[in-house]
Amino acid sequence: MSKAKTKRISPAVKAAIHQLVIIIFVVIWLVPIYAMVINGLKSDVAVYTTPVLVPSSSPTLEPFQAVWSSLSRPLLNSLIIVLPVAFIATFLGSMAAYFFYMLSNSFSKVSSFISNFLFSLISLATFIPYQATLIPLTKLIADMGLLNTYWGLAFAFFIFYMPTGALLMSIFITAIPPRIIEAARLDKGSDWRIFIKLVFPLSLPGFVSTLIFNIIETWNNFFIPLMLTTTPNMRLIPVTVQSFTGGYATLYNETFAAAFIASIVPLGIFIFLGRYFIKGLIALGTGGKGV
Amino acid sequence: MVKVITKDVTKIFKSKKKEVVALDKINMEINSGESFGILGPSGAGKTTLMRIIAGLDVPTAGELYFNDELVAASNRLIVPPEDRNIGMVFQTWALYPNMTAYDNIAFPLKSLKISKAEEQKKINDIAEILGISHVLNHYPRELSGGQQQRVALARALVKNPSILLLDEPFSNLDARIRDSARALVRRIQNELKITTITVSHDPADIFSIAERAGVIVHGKLVQVDKPSIIYSKPITVEVAKLIGDLVELNGRIEDRNGATYAVVDDFSFPINKINASNVRLGIRLEDLKISKESSLGSDWFLVGRARVKVSSYSSGLFRVTVVPPSNDNTEVVVMMDKPFDVGEEVNLFIRLGKVLVFT
Amino acid sequence: MRIQGLIMAIPTIFFSFLLLYLVLWNLYYSFTNWSLLNPHPSFVGLQTYISLLSTEYFSISFTHSILLSAGAVVFGNLLGLLFASLLYFLGNERLRSLYLSLLIYPLSISMAANSLIWLWLFNIHIGINWFLRMLHLPTPLWLSSPSMEFPSLMIVVIWAYAGLSLIFYLAAFMGVDKSLIEAARIDKASPFRILFRVLLPNSMNGFIVSSALLFLFSFRVFSPPYLLSGGPTNIFLQTSVVYMYYLFTTEYFAQASAVATIITAIATAVVIPYALYGIKRWMKHE
Repeated sequence: MSKAKTKRISPAVKAAIHQLVIIIFVVIWLVPIYAMVINGLKSDVAVYTTPVLVPSSSPTLEPFQAVWSSLSRPLLNSLIIVLPVAFIATFLGSMAAYFFYMLSNSFSKVSSFISNFLFSLISLATFIPYQATLIPLTKLIADMGLLNTYWGLAFAFFIFYMPTGALLMSIFITAIPPRIIEAARLDKGSDWRIFIKLVFPLSLPGFVSTLIFNIIETWNNFFIPLMLTTTPNMRLIPVTVQSFTGGYATLYNETFAAAFIASIVPLGIFIFLGRYFIKGLIALGTGGKGV
Repeated sequence: MVKVITKDVTKIFKSKKKEVVALDKINMEINSGESFGILGPSGAGKTTLMRIIAGLDVPTAGELYFNDELVAASNRLIVPPEDRNIGMVFQTWALYPNMTAYDNIAFPLKSLKISKAEEQKKINDIAEILGISHVLNHYPRELSGGQQQRVALARALVKNPSILLLDEPFSNLDARIRDSARALVRRIQNELKITTITVSHDPADIFSIAERAGVIVHGKLVQVDKPSIIYSKPITVEVAKLIGDLVELNGRIEDRNGATYAVVDDFSFPINKINASNVRLGIRLEDLKISKESSLGSDWFLVGRARVKVSSYSSGLFRVTVVPPSNDNTEVVVMMDKPFDVGEEVNLFIRLGKVLVFT
Repeated sequence: MRIQGLIMAIPTIFFSFLLLYLVLWNLYYSFTNWSLLNPHPSFVGLQTYISLLSTEYFSISFTHSILLSAGAVVFGNLLGLLFASLLYFLGNERLRSLYLSLLIYPLSISMAANSLIWLWLFNIHIGINWFLRMLHLPTPLWLSSPSMEFPSLMIVVIWAYAGLSLIFYLAAFMGVDKSLIEAARIDKASPFRILFRVLLPNSMNGFIVSSALLFLFSFRVFSPPYLLSGGPTNIFLQTSVVYMYYLFTTEYFAQASAVATIITAIATAVVIPYALYGIKRWMKHE
């Protein structure tokens, strides 16, 4: 006679249900990227004969070839602008982060106040809906004669992403043992020397996280290049991709191929350097020392 | 060389819930070229004082002078740490992990604008004195604790500081090498005659390095004197405990035949006449002995009969805990050169004139 | 020595003040009547705001913005919590990392691309509905129905940003002392009890961060309402940010500035306390 406790579910079954639930959600979450990949590979015929969720039986690179001519220049533009701008913004931002660190360690009330004020300012720059600044931003860039230029885009990006870099690096800098900085101050290290010889090397993982975060955010920024570029050959890739909407009569295979090309760089970075991006996000919210 | 003077230096830490008074009106004068020790229990006080002297913190009230120059006042840093010409060895040494030992020691020299050759000479000289010439190419993580400490010391000394600050310099070292480390620091201090301030909770550090010491208890400076005087004439029982091992007992005063005794259960300790009914007694371990004999000579006074409760061993001596027959909880520790059995009945003796009495 | 540090910070300070200038510029022009009809603006006080507040578009778009953000905060938190709980109790580190990545990847793709994809997924003939039909499940009309349009927009935003919430809850959970969890396990506590009694009470910080970021990210999102709506005539999806954009394209500059100022004010009201709260915590870590 079996004494099995039929009411209790075995741990193996529980684990299986657990995994199943996760997998169901993951599959649902993956649907859009799945759609992006398979639909870019459909011929025009396949577009009419297969639904969006079903892959083509004979995948082809035609849609990519079709969109390549309009996307190649924006892709190039994005590559030229985004990577250097993100790097410079992050580096200059980390210098500022060190300055805030010093301010917060000083003893005068004035320093405290200034550091709170600046910190609020860079937080504002990081989280504000940047679209809200569109009119004065466009006017400013136009007045500087930089509308529709690489420099104009770079300048606008700096306004938002340099403070973001400073904010994130402020969090990562706190991971450095304070005694080391104190020892360096007693050793008469100048601010620059302490930064470049100690703070920067010791916060390198944080720097990479901030850099990755800035690259992805800058690359995907849609609104700023929308406002500041007027000719197609200066456009950045998210803006060009958007022009592939335009009614339901469009062949969606080209839309998806365009979306894919636009996403390949940030997605690639995410796939290979994802943990840095995640650390950057965590720093954005709490403090880099956590996970 | 620099004389360090603190006037009513006070430090209060405020948190949401309460205020902690880490230092309470510290008045201290450390002479130029002197080796001074700051002794106290592990806690905020002494390290805070050291940090204030270094310029890494400011007093809430009071003033700090180097010679005649006002260097810090209430919540004001007048001379920043980088301008105080101080060499400091942190408790965790705070070596720069991404640089070799050589570069660590070279770091303070970079701001002096000296030639490469001169820099090299200074580094090699100090490395030789400290015996670390052979590890200069290594990174801190590759070095032993003792080597790291010497690199930290070299880094502090290479710039010819006017003041040398040592924060619990030996607590992170293996017990076996602490003695040689202490001897090294003493030698350096003797040769270079730098004003040296050592902060420690370990009396061994104070005895081996300091010419004079200040004892800080609960934020107050309670006694300043030569270590040996603090040892033999501690002002309070807490000071006595800090500077050496102590047996603490509470006793009742009894006068018998014109002599005064402090009575603890079955033990009678001879003391000087005093105007109190109860006292706190402190007795150094080396001033107590037990024996089967009924007399140990004229220097030793028979306190009473005792029974062995615990028999143990420590650093080459046998650590025996005895209790009076009437009270198992009154424990007296004695260090003997031979072991005793638990339960043995013995006589407890005290060296004459060696009872510390606190009211 | 302070001077060197200051010089090092100058580029960032410069751009930050530039941002402040832009915000104040908006504020200034919102008090004028600058538009296509008034190419030389003059000061009109609160007139622009008053006329704005009485237009239907204004209240509709702001209602949409608040609803969208509220939905993002509520459902984002719920999903984030759910995912974090599921992933936390997974024993395998590598699987956890993998699933984490698979749930946050939407953050690495531009919202413009995401919107385009969802536009097609919401197609009532060949999109998700095809799949739902196969399973004999109800097929909502998504973007083609006035009642389902806004929920569809919310789905896109929640899908994209739930990962944010997941990260912070998971970080909060991982921050809980392992010995607490082990003690609970020894006491035969089920995962649910551990979740509600041990993990959640220690995740207040995760909740605050998650909510603040969900709000800020969803409040400023532009591409989904812009691209999913198909154009300015569709007011069902118009959020305040999109509304501001349309005012700009129709050259009602003063009004656009007014809307922009209001948007900035709302965002600032969330950012500043959050930033100062963050500083206090960050400083305490020292």
